[in-house]
Amino acid sequence: MKELVIREAEERDIDQAADLTVRMKKLNGEFDPLFKVVDDAKERAERYLRASMGSADRLVLVAAKGPKVLGVLRAEVEVRLFYQPSKEGRITDFYVLPEWRRRALGDDMLQHASERLKKMGAEMIVADFPARNEIATGFYTKRGFRPLVNTFAIEDQRDR
Amino acid sequence: MPTEEGQDEASRKALEYSAFYRGKIGTVPKVPVKSLDDFSVWYTPGVAAVSTAIEKNPGLSFDYTNRWNTVAVLTDGSRVLGLGDIGPEASLPVMEGKALIYKYLGGVDAVPVPIRVSSEEQFIAVAEALEPGFGGINLEDIASPRCFDILERLRGKMKIPVWHDDQQGTAGVILAALYNALELTGRDLRNARIVLFGAGAANIAAARLLIEAGAPAGEMILMDSKGTLHSEREDIDQLLMRNRWKYEMALKTNSSKVQGSLKDALKGADVLVAAATPGPHVIKRDEISSMNPDPVVFLLSNPVPEMWPDEAVNAGAAVVATGRSDFANQVNNSVLFPGLFRGALDVRARNISDTMVIAAARELANFARAKGLSKTNIIPTMLDWDVFPSVAAVVGEQAQREGLAGKSLSRSELFAEAQRIIQQSRNLASILIEKGIIPPLPDDRLAGRGD
Repeated sequence: MKELVIREAEERDIDQAADLTVRMKKLNGEFDPLFKVVDDAKERAERYLRASMGSADRLVLVAAKGPKVLGVLRAEVEVRLFYQPSKEGRITDFYVLPEWRRRALGDDMLQHASERLKKMGAEMIVADFPARNEIATGFYTKRGFRPLVNTFAIEDQRDR
Repeated sequence: MPTEEGQDEASRKALEYSAFYRGKIGTVPKVPVKSLDDFSVWYTPGVAAVSTAIEKNPGLSFDYTNRWNTVAVLTDGSRVLGLGDIGPEASLPVMEGKALIYKYLGGVDAVPVPIRVSSEEQFIAVAEALEPGFGGINLEDIASPRCFDILERLRGKMKIPVWHDDQQGTAGVILAALYNALELTGRDLRNARIVLFGAGAANIAAARLLIEAGAPAGEMILMDSKGTLHSEREDIDQLLMRNRWKYEMALKTNSSKVQGSLKDALKGADVLVAAATPGPHVIKRDEISSMNPDPVVFLLSNPVPEMWPDEAVNAGAAVVATGRSDFANQVNNSVLFPGLFRGALDVRARNISDTMVIAAARELANFARAKGLSKTNIIPTMLDWDVFPSVAAVVGEQAQREGLAGKSLSRSELFAEAQRIIQQSRNLASILIEKGIIPPLPDDRLAGRGD
């Protein structure tokens, strides 16, 4: 039986990790039409993850069982110029395959990511996701996160 | 082989007879009325004493009124037969037909209640508001996946049994037929590889009940128009958002994540349950041929099965069932729900659990076995009168076993009571026909056969 591990993503994971990232983006689209996913999302996700993997202030974690990638988490450390704490670890993408949900894998990945981000200098952890994504809202709320920043949107008014 | 002409003839008769009879059911008195003075007992002022007693103890409404035997056939008309969202008024003939079957086969006084609602919340509010007047609720012809949520929520909220025949009834008769088909082909449900073609309300409910009855979930495959369901399908998160019932099935079933066509899904399968699209050429011979030897094939779409039964047999099927009465082995809810609800009402059940449905399915299967199990006799028909009290008895017994019953009766008492009520209902119909209160069919009158 292959063991489930949470580790930094490697080149061999890119294809599957990109696929999971696109799944997450499409799930966002289910909640809000302003998150409609572009046709070449997979290629973009591959480039996006590769660029993140090579960066000192970015993190890409995967949960894997043998060659199979079960979950992906991408995060970055950002400076908060005007505020204390002055560095935050920002989770930008986080997806676990449905079959592996409700098995605490998400918790384990979040825990791993938080520890890594703290080692990278983060003094607080934040998570970005669409305001209408009830699943993410529920996930983070249950784990003690609270709303921090509001992003309000308006579509192009010219056609109205 | 049934013809389009036959269906046209049935349609012509249905229209003509409906206009003639102006409805299929009505109400009949249960108490003697010899003079208008009697109304001082049945109505005011005497009835006030009964109301006062019920006010003090609402449970007495089951003893002092016909509530104990009254079921609402509740629909929003959003998915009527194969006709789709035709609205509550248009659903009324179907609900009347259902009520007629309830009365004739189960002795249950069922009342059609088509309602105009615009949301699931409204539907649930109406159902809850109806509770004081009924002994049970039969949900009917509600669009999927809304019907799953409505059933689940009402089952959790109401103190009277709520039943959705399109889900539970269909699942129950499929299970009953499958018990015997598996027996005939030397298989066991606990290791049968089952493919369900079509993932609407009937097959999703069937999959859930089959798993509850012991079928291995991981070996089961459901297919919809986009292919096999599995936990990593491209649209899995869409299903999570739009149809969580299908989503749950995608996670539970098809552990090998078989992808591809129906033929791919059927490789190595023992059983096919098709409730997909009316045929006859929806399923091909080579698809049946790719199954394990002597497969069980249920072709349940109406009015035309997914393939003709003789084609399935020629392709190797050992046992074939359809949804039609003009072929052998009709998988038809009507052999289940009248007896099942009879049993639930007779013990004043608070709920109808999956295990009560499984008990009813077992009884249907046992009944067919007692008659002589064969490839063309795996399930009782509506003509098997004794099946209804038999089902009622096991359902009542199971409800008591699970602590869901408000009354305690032995199996033989339950059988006798159900038989008495059903017989009374049939006698009533016979008398009304004999006395000419129910006039002969217009065609019979013309042919001089109704006198």
